[in-house]
Amino acid sequence: MTDQKKDNVHLNRRQALMMMGAAGVAGLMGPMAIGRDRAFAANADAKGQLVLAFSQEPTVFNPLMPHIEVDEGVYYAVFDTLFDFDPEGAFFPILAAEVPTVANGGISEDGLSWRLKLKEGVTWHDGTPFTAADVKFSLELPMDPDFRSFRSSGYRLMTNITVVSDTELTWEMSEPFAPMAAILASTYIIPKHAFDGVADKNTAPFSNAPIGTGPFKFKTRMAGDHIELEANADYHMDGPFLKTLIIKYVPDLNVMYTQFKSGDIDVVGLQYISPDHLAEAETLPGKVVKVAGTATFESIGLNMTRPQFQELAVRQALYAALDKTSIIDALYYGVPTPTETYMPQQSYYYDPELPKHEFSLDKAKALLDAAGWVPGPDGIREKGGVKLSFSNSTTAGNHLREQAQQFIQQTFKEIGVEMTIKNLPPAVMWGDYWMNSEFDSVVVGLNCLAGADPDTSDYFMSSMSPALGGSGQNTFAYQNPKVDELLVKGAASFVPEERKAIYQELQQVIRADLPFLPVFQYAVIKGWKDDVTGPAPNVNNRIDTWNVRDWARG
Amino acid sequence: MSAATTNTATRRPFIKSRAMRRFLSNKMALVGLAMVLSLTVACFLGPHLLPYDELFIDLRARFAPPGTGAHIFGTDPLGRDIAARLFHAGQISMAVGFAVMLIATTIGSVVGVVSGYYGGVVSAVLMRIVDAFLSFPSVFLLLALAAFIQPGPVMIALIISATSWMEVARIVDSEVKSLRNQDFVQAAHMLGLSGRWIMFRELLPNAIGPIIVAATLTVARAILLEAYISFLGYGIQPPLPSWGNMLNGAQQYLASAPWLAIVPGVAITIAVTGFNLIGDGLRDALDSRSQGH
Amino acid sequence: MLRYILSRIGQSLLLLLIVSFIGFAVLTLAPGGPLSQFALSPGMTQEQIDKIATQMGLDRPVVVQYLDWFRHMLIGDWGTSYRDGQSVLHVIGSHLFATLLLMGTATVISVSLGSAIGIFSALRRGSVFDYTTMLAAMVALSIPTFWFGLIAIYIFSLNLGWLPAGNMYTVGDGSVLDYLRHLIMPAGVLALVDVAIWSRYMRSSTLNVINQDFVRTARAKGLTRRRVLFKHIVGNSLVPMITLAGLQLPMVLGGALVTETVFTWPGMGRLFLDSLGYSDYPVVMGLLMASAMLVLIGNLAADLAVALIDPRIRLD
Repeated sequence: MTDQKKDNVHLNRRQALMMMGAAGVAGLMGPMAIGRDRAFAANADAKGQLVLAFSQEPTVFNPLMPHIEVDEGVYYAVFDTLFDFDPEGAFFPILAAEVPTVANGGISEDGLSWRLKLKEGVTWHDGTPFTAADVKFSLELPMDPDFRSFRSSGYRLMTNITVVSDTELTWEMSEPFAPMAAILASTYIIPKHAFDGVADKNTAPFSNAPIGTGPFKFKTRMAGDHIELEANADYHMDGPFLKTLIIKYVPDLNVMYTQFKSGDIDVVGLQYISPDHLAEAETLPGKVVKVAGTATFESIGLNMTRPQFQELAVRQALYAALDKTSIIDALYYGVPTPTETYMPQQSYYYDPELPKHEFSLDKAKALLDAAGWVPGPDGIREKGGVKLSFSNSTTAGNHLREQAQQFIQQTFKEIGVEMTIKNLPPAVMWGDYWMNSEFDSVVVGLNCLAGADPDTSDYFMSSMSPALGGSGQNTFAYQNPKVDELLVKGAASFVPEERKAIYQELQQVIRADLPFLPVFQYAVIKGWKDDVTGPAPNVNNRIDTWNVRDWARG
Repeated sequence: MSAATTNTATRRPFIKSRAMRRFLSNKMALVGLAMVLSLTVACFLGPHLLPYDELFIDLRARFAPPGTGAHIFGTDPLGRDIAARLFHAGQISMAVGFAVMLIATTIGSVVGVVSGYYGGVVSAVLMRIVDAFLSFPSVFLLLALAAFIQPGPVMIALIISATSWMEVARIVDSEVKSLRNQDFVQAAHMLGLSGRWIMFRELLPNAIGPIIVAATLTVARAILLEAYISFLGYGIQPPLPSWGNMLNGAQQYLASAPWLAIVPGVAITIAVTGFNLIGDGLRDALDSRSQGH
Repeated sequence: MLRYILSRIGQSLLLLLIVSFIGFAVLTLAPGGPLSQFALSPGMTQEQIDKIATQMGLDRPVVVQYLDWFRHMLIGDWGTSYRDGQSVLHVIGSHLFATLLLMGTATVISVSLGSAIGIFSALRRGSVFDYTTMLAAMVALSIPTFWFGLIAIYIFSLNLGWLPAGNMYTVGDGSVLDYLRHLIMPAGVLALVDVAIWSRYMRSSTLNVINQDFVRTARAKGLTRRRVLFKHIVGNSLVPMITLAGLQLPMVLGGALVTETVFTWPGMGRLFLDSLGYSDYPVVMGLLMASAMLVLIGNLAADLAVALIDPRIRLD
């Protein structure tokens, strides 16, 4: 529906080859199903073992419960979503027979009625057939008042979810909500039968012995060390090509890199190779090393309720005094890309025409002078009894960020701005301190998007600030009626071209307003052994294993 | 047990002369003293002799190995002079060490003297609390505390103190218990002196020897503990340098810039060894029981 | 004897009560909490966080939470980890082997090596060997364990490439030799402080025994030096050593925590840090209780062992 490029399936070399092998039956099937459906694939046997390392430990195995990025690394292997985003931001079907769109009748013109057709003959890892009842269960569970669900936005608008047949279901939306498709793309479908007769769904045995429809079965977990997954021989799509997938927890990035170097680790996953190792990593024989952009952007977030930040001139001056080039090139070894917005540059909705940041201490000083902020006896500027002094916080122990912070502190000092550093342990930093906007300013890496959908209402809508009585994630306490208007308009439109214009305007308004000072869009350094095929960056998914079904060893 | 413990006024010079002589003839203790003194001098004089400010960032000069220009110990990932940071960190780490010594020794002495003087139920309760604290691995307890406070030198000193007073309490308790029935205490009772007077004016001064020893060892312990929690990221936060937080993050650069790890670690080892040697020496000098050897 | 054991157990339970109360108060009164780890995830709105906090009972008063926890504790239910929903006992149990392997190996190294050095120093009292080892012991006592670990990694892993820099075994290997290769450095680093402590105590303990009458008598009776040494000195020094072993437990455990961090060893110390980072209170509390129990049991066992070995001590 949302994207015209839906038929333009991104294929890697392996898939392309398989598609050619299956060309004979192409006339019988839609173009999507050919390369991917198992029955027609030139299927190789699953063989070999692959060790994928993460620097955090996956621990939550019910994908509908609150979890962090790294947990999704396991979900993509064990579970399936109905459909997902490819690297271009286009949908491809997984459990769904086709991605519902207005064009194919899956979504009504007004966006209120949905009809979803599912693939036939899919089974769960325990052999039970997968049906529409499982999908209904997975879509309703997040709104179960006794269930600790990961999110409720989107699901709360779904009403009247009806199982039409084993492979078809329909529902109504209480209002048109364009991001719904993206939310579905990150809803992993879990088996209803695993919860039959379970009193407390939060502690169901399923949580520690997950059953999915995905390419790999959950075999064993050695807590604090690794998880072993084995190939699902009955997988409904092409793949898997690995007999065993081991997800190894290596809490230290240096150890992880050293083990990648020595060959103990085949693929370096989440938190990846640290930037200071990039130059060396690129010279390693037998390894592929790639820098890939992610949807997370680093910014200096300002608490807009603080008197210091009320004036636009102050925010502009701080932005002008931000030496982005030095931070990126020196501290981050040139890995990330400078940015002017929260929108990833790979996104269809990204506005490349935003005004470019220019580092100039003179300009910063001039802005502050013109606005009437004059240096006091201690060299710190003040105006009307307000001192241009504030604290900056982030997670204690994030070394690169702490370095950037101290560097910024020094440049700000040169324009008469005092920035003190007040870092906190993670549990404290991202608790009430963050959610209730108790900070002056923060350095934070945020991904405001759900998949490839451009909606960011939770983060920028005026009514979404917990500090101002709202209930969302607008922790910068940013309020701008124009922004609200654009966000409402964007969420109600299903036409990509229309939405593009709306969200580009939104980016312009926010860039001009500077409720946060954008620093860079994150890029990470991925690495794998050169006999491994399959890993491919995908800015629209939170983690590498989005296509683990395609991974193979040469 | 030394005999002349009737009067604090006559006891002190006795300790001074005999104990001092014994301390000064202990080579190990003198080595320790030399280590601590030279490190202290370096930390307080050093910053004035160096051409660099410990906070000045110069990204062009990052990761300079020791001996580059005037950077005798090299520079850190922000191009700051490590020597300047090391000396400043030393001031902070040692200040934390001494603060902990004062706080922990005070708490420990009070608990110990009260427990030893009153005995019975009071002593049983207090000593069980001491046992409770001792049965925690202190690093576990420290981290649990540090993970949830706003870290700064004062808070760090307080929480290290909270896990460091028990040894002193035990020592004072047993000293006081053995002194309690001696003549000068009985005499004080007969003169009608208050319990508080007897505890703090009569008993405590007579237990001063072991307290000094324990206090010295507490400095060493506190410096070490500060390093532990700062290394794990829960201690003193940058840009304020401490020996511990200079090491936090050094692991990342171990291959490319090993001096980041080596320099502060050596400083910590010297300081802690120094205080431990002094403490050991003092114990030998002050502890009359070791006279036989 | 039985009465003594029972009263000691009674005291220990009282201690655990105090320990649990302090620990719980510290954890739950502090700002932040287990849900903060999700705060940066898209979709995790304040509304959602509040809802989950209510479901998990995190919004109840601390005293109520404590009593609830305590009641379950009494019947052997240590609660459920916030992170993976497993029972706390199961979580701790699954990390126990790694820690015991590390601590056990370190203890074997430190007791044997430390005792040997201590006895030898005592017998050669005042020699160069004595001075050097005692100074070395003092330095070893003063080195931060984690720093020693870093230096060991720098030398043996990064420069010489002899030993792996972390983990307990290579995935897919797991042979005894593979475990050993991974074990050498962390166990050696953890043992360092203990070697120092053991050698110092063994030295003074041996010196005490040497000066006692029965040793002189034994020598006078014409027994060889070696027989006197092993029969009397070692036998008699063992008694305080056992007590010491009990008292050392908290330190070894604390050292294991830091060592596990440096060498990414999948044990209880690593678990403690991870759980702390995620504010997984039930697991943190469980670990605090488990370590306190371990220490108390260690002390009690040491007391009893001494009573059994040494006829001079009677416990009632």
